[in-house]
Amino acid sequence: MRRDFLKLCGMVGLTLACPGGVRSLLAASTREDPPYEGPYYVVFNASGGWDTTYLMDPKGVGEINRLYQEGDILTKGQHKFAPTAKQVHAGGMSNEEFFGEFGQELLVLNGLDYSVNNHSPGARYMATGKLDSMAYPTFAALVAACKGPKCPLSFLTFGNYSATGNVVAMSRVPYLPSLQKIANADAIEGNKRSPYHDDFALDRIEQALQEGNASSAPQPRLPRQERAENMLYAAQVNSKSLQRITPYIPATIPKERLAQQAEIALASFKAGVCVSANLSIGQFDSHANNDVDQMKLIPEFLAGIAYLLRRAEELKIREKLVVVIQSEMGRTPNYNKGNGKDHWSIGSIMFMGPGIRGDRVIGATDEKQFQVPLDPQTLNQDKEKGIRVRPEHIHSALRQLAGITDHSLSKKFPLGIPAKEELHSLWGA
Amino acid sequence: MSLNAILCQIRTVALALIVCAVLRTNQAGAGDKAVYSGPACAASVDEFFVNEVWPKVGAQTCLECHKSGGDAEESDFILTDPQRIQGDARDKVLRQNRDAFAEMARSKEGDQSRLLLKVVGKLKHGGKQVVKPESAAYRVLAEFVSRLSAKPSVEAIARAMAAADKNAAPFFEGVVMLDDRKLRRRVTLSLAGRLPTDAELAAMTSRGRQALPALLDAVMKEDAFYDRLREGFNDIFLTIGYDDVPETALSYEHFSKTRGWAEKAELKEIADPKERQKAKYKLANDYRKAMLGEPMKLIEHIVRNDRPFTEIVTADYIMVTPYTARGYGIYDELKEKFQNPEDPFEYIPVKLKALVARTRDDDQESATGFYPHAGLLSTFQYLRRYPTTETNRNRLRARMYFQQFLGIDVLELAARVSDAAAVTAKYPIPTMQASECVVCHKTIDPVAGLFQDYWKFEGVYGRRKGGWFKDMFPAGYEGEALPADQRWRSLQWLGERTAKDARFAVAMVEHVYYILTGRKVLQPSKDLDDPLFAARHRAYQEQRRQVEAIATDFARTGFNLKTVFKAWIASEFYRADGWASASADPKRRAELDDVGLVRMLAPEQVERKVLAVFGKPWGKLTEQMAMLYGGIDSKEVTERAADPSGAMGAIQRILANDVACRQTGLDFSRDPKDRVLFRGIEPDVAPGTTPEADAKIRRTIAHLHERVLGRYDAVDSPEVDRTYQLFAGVVADAAAHKGVGSEENYSCRQGMLHPVPDPKYTVRAWRAVVTYLLRRPEFLYE
Repeated sequence: MRRDFLKLCGMVGLTLACPGGVRSLLAASTREDPPYEGPYYVVFNASGGWDTTYLMDPKGVGEINRLYQEGDILTKGQHKFAPTAKQVHAGGMSNEEFFGEFGQELLVLNGLDYSVNNHSPGARYMATGKLDSMAYPTFAALVAACKGPKCPLSFLTFGNYSATGNVVAMSRVPYLPSLQKIANADAIEGNKRSPYHDDFALDRIEQALQEGNASSAPQPRLPRQERAENMLYAAQVNSKSLQRITPYIPATIPKERLAQQAEIALASFKAGVCVSANLSIGQFDSHANNDVDQMKLIPEFLAGIAYLLRRAEELKIREKLVVVIQSEMGRTPNYNKGNGKDHWSIGSIMFMGPGIRGDRVIGATDEKQFQVPLDPQTLNQDKEKGIRVRPEHIHSALRQLAGITDHSLSKKFPLGIPAKEELHSLWGA
Repeated sequence: MSLNAILCQIRTVALALIVCAVLRTNQAGAGDKAVYSGPACAASVDEFFVNEVWPKVGAQTCLECHKSGGDAEESDFILTDPQRIQGDARDKVLRQNRDAFAEMARSKEGDQSRLLLKVVGKLKHGGKQVVKPESAAYRVLAEFVSRLSAKPSVEAIARAMAAADKNAAPFFEGVVMLDDRKLRRRVTLSLAGRLPTDAELAAMTSRGRQALPALLDAVMKEDAFYDRLREGFNDIFLTIGYDDVPETALSYEHFSKTRGWAEKAELKEIADPKERQKAKYKLANDYRKAMLGEPMKLIEHIVRNDRPFTEIVTADYIMVTPYTARGYGIYDELKEKFQNPEDPFEYIPVKLKALVARTRDDDQESATGFYPHAGLLSTFQYLRRYPTTETNRNRLRARMYFQQFLGIDVLELAARVSDAAAVTAKYPIPTMQASECVVCHKTIDPVAGLFQDYWKFEGVYGRRKGGWFKDMFPAGYEGEALPADQRWRSLQWLGERTAKDARFAVAMVEHVYYILTGRKVLQPSKDLDDPLFAARHRAYQEQRRQVEAIATDFARTGFNLKTVFKAWIASEFYRADGWASASADPKRRAELDDVGLVRMLAPEQVERKVLAVFGKPWGKLTEQMAMLYGGIDSKEVTERAADPSGAMGAIQRILANDVACRQTGLDFSRDPKDRVLFRGIEPDVAPGTTPEADAKIRRTIAHLHERVLGRYDAVDSPEVDRTYQLFAGVVADAAAHKGVGSEENYSCRQGMLHPVPDPKYTVRAWRAVVTYLLRRPEFLYE
């Protein structure tokens, strides 16, 4: 049957239409696929635009920061960061704690040119590496499509820009209890001891659906029809593996926003049903009272990252987590009349995970928070001949890290970077 | 329309030129005449310009500055955006743009075309380098220049004609359209959430598609259509998604004494405290629901009464109910106008008086004494849904205005600059001085200024202390300044202009497409290096032509939105349903990539379809489950999922299992004449026992295929055969298993009108069949 199915798919050029290609369809025709075992990709988004000078790119000069001076800047290994321990009043994690605990694993890139000053294009650009197209998938979606098209929750998202480029379905699971509800879809009220159908009847249903799907493959269908029917069939078949999530759903639900998202992502990773997750909290857009807002949100954001990493440790998947920590823009090097900071197109990004050597800082901004160009070969600052590092450079490097640069889906969405501009050895491993 | 017209011209001109060329050849022998080099070139260049130069370079790069109001408006090279224009006028604009390009291309600096030098920044050019020398865009321009200077030949003209003929092949050639029965089912399910009636079946059978307009007229009178209409337009305007409790749409400043009437209601007439509390909850909930519903009820009112749809920006009234009228403090003066003053959801149009503030500081200016209503634009719910801040300065509102009412996403393709931070730092007011910023802000900020009197975040209406910002382009619309005496009615002033803007009609046609298909219209391809660019561009152009044709008709017939629904439904884009013979040609596949409705049903649509097919909704695709199934909350999640994830696949399984469980035994427990699924068969009819029994089973399967899937399969078709094998296989498996009970499981017996024994396992086998059908794409998609 599987051979026939492959043959039928080939006859109608299904590889063109099916996001995961024939292999994903073949897999979908089986009962249940083996769990996806990593690496897992998590993209943290500080939605609204973070103030990097209160985190990994401290200044303390020229009225850029009111809460500390240049001499107050702290270091941990190679990292320099703003002192925030005294500012953390509403819970969360200070920079001191964050860099103290994770600095050895952390790679910081300062002086990233977001290139635009608006949220919507900025979020799109940072998520996809492409400014002038609405059709590109986010990195999280692309890596999910390349590495785990059969996973039922391959690409999880909790907000921010989440376009998929039609390469993978997007999953929104806003509440932990929702996972419990859908984990055992063929049992009444999710109780495995009360199946809707006897096993033999359920087998017959699945067989009929498989035959129906296979029989329609050789029929001439419009491209949309092909895609829809294949994705629907795969979604239903692959959903069976959701039952593996049940043991990893925690008994208690954390109160914090990012921790809730992290638990859903981790349960899905651990069950082998998810490749990537887009975790996000908003309200960073501190046009008024910048320091108050950023000092509430940055600690919350860091605490959420720490929560994910610590829980991953408990679940024994920490070493498989690739973490990207980003925002769609920075904040101006000066305060406006409302004690806020407006949009600034220069900022930073942080990474950690397998294949990434930590305790490093690449790139820089100058004392006025302008970007200092970078030599892509040496990764040293080079004001004369260096390049302006933009999101496409980061995305190209991420694709390399994930080993998907030459995947056919990646090639469908080229980033258009000349070879000489690739950031060689960014990951340092 | 426009492209066809141009291609037509190409063919006509080319034909004339063949004649000219022949004449010229004949005349050449008579003497040395100058070679005619006029329209012949234009014909082939036009085609190249329309398909290559304009979409790949002109529209994407040059138009940004070289237009009226653009950063290079004072240069000699001025273009016009044909997207804002329809019909013949659009063709004319394209010709003018082509002429401007041709003039610049022919102009020389040394021996090189100024066009090619300018775009790479080698000549003085405000935009400096906008095209890289090795890029696809440059190659297109170089080819354009080359074609201009080439002398025409008969062969070239023939090639142009051949190309034109080739391009003229019908776009939908080979695409199979829905037959009348399926179209009828699609329409009634989509617009009214029901299956077609027998009368409608008969009409379509006898009159075919000619019966469609009358069918649609009838459907668009049903309440269910207006439920769908409101739901669809809320997906676009998202007005139910504003923060805080719904009654806060009425500001404390202006409605402090009335907006909380429901909380203050004592309901002393209800003696039982528990019942009283329950009633109070219901009162508050109904009030809130009615308040949230006002903006979309305005749309319903306009469409239901065949009023011009431009009223969504010009209506000088809002819709209120007896409950919301109490919130506005106008119930007493209105109560006689309600048919049932106790009905929380009876909406009537009302014109509010100018707002009077609690502190009198924010009394509303009004030359008429009335609130200056401007359709949705001035509703409190719309303004609350898109609030503003001291730094945002109404720009979010302006952006949403352009997107929702003119179909323009001003942030869709933000211009990249070499160093945005440096630009920001260089100018005291970058939005008014830096060309990179001015491009957008010159358009957005004047509209933001039109909302200036709706400044207060909580109060909606209220003027900014110190007056409107001076470091913004002043209030206006597309280059026209807002007259001072119009400021008190600035949104009405905006609405009047919006209604006359050709883009409004186009945007509304695009909205209806979104409601019918669940996806946005195609955008022009931007990837010049894409080998399928031409195919994708053609797909865009074909769809654009349809959009514009419907928009033209919409405007011509007085903006009756029903005409738009009718036109889309009659169009090939809506009726496309298959491919006669699939092509492996990637170009043809790219052309048809978006053709065909093929829409995964939203949670609300699934529930309505279950109701239509089985007589009762599933009832579980609500709240969290609806969100998990790709629904929206109109706040954080505002776009519906288009493709099923594994989580959604699991929900589909649950739905199929559960609905089959509830409905199969229940239907057998009904009197045969009342059944919807199993009219001609009983549980004692087992497969393989007699030919008559098998015939009954097959007829039942065919009926189920029609009712659940909308398929019209013959009883001996492969599809019916597969379902028969499922049914018979389950019965046979059950017979082979020991210990299988003789009745349905406990959960699936609930709700039956009387017990239905199942000694042969046929009821459960039918349940397996229904489960199977409910998981099929024909049920879950439209």
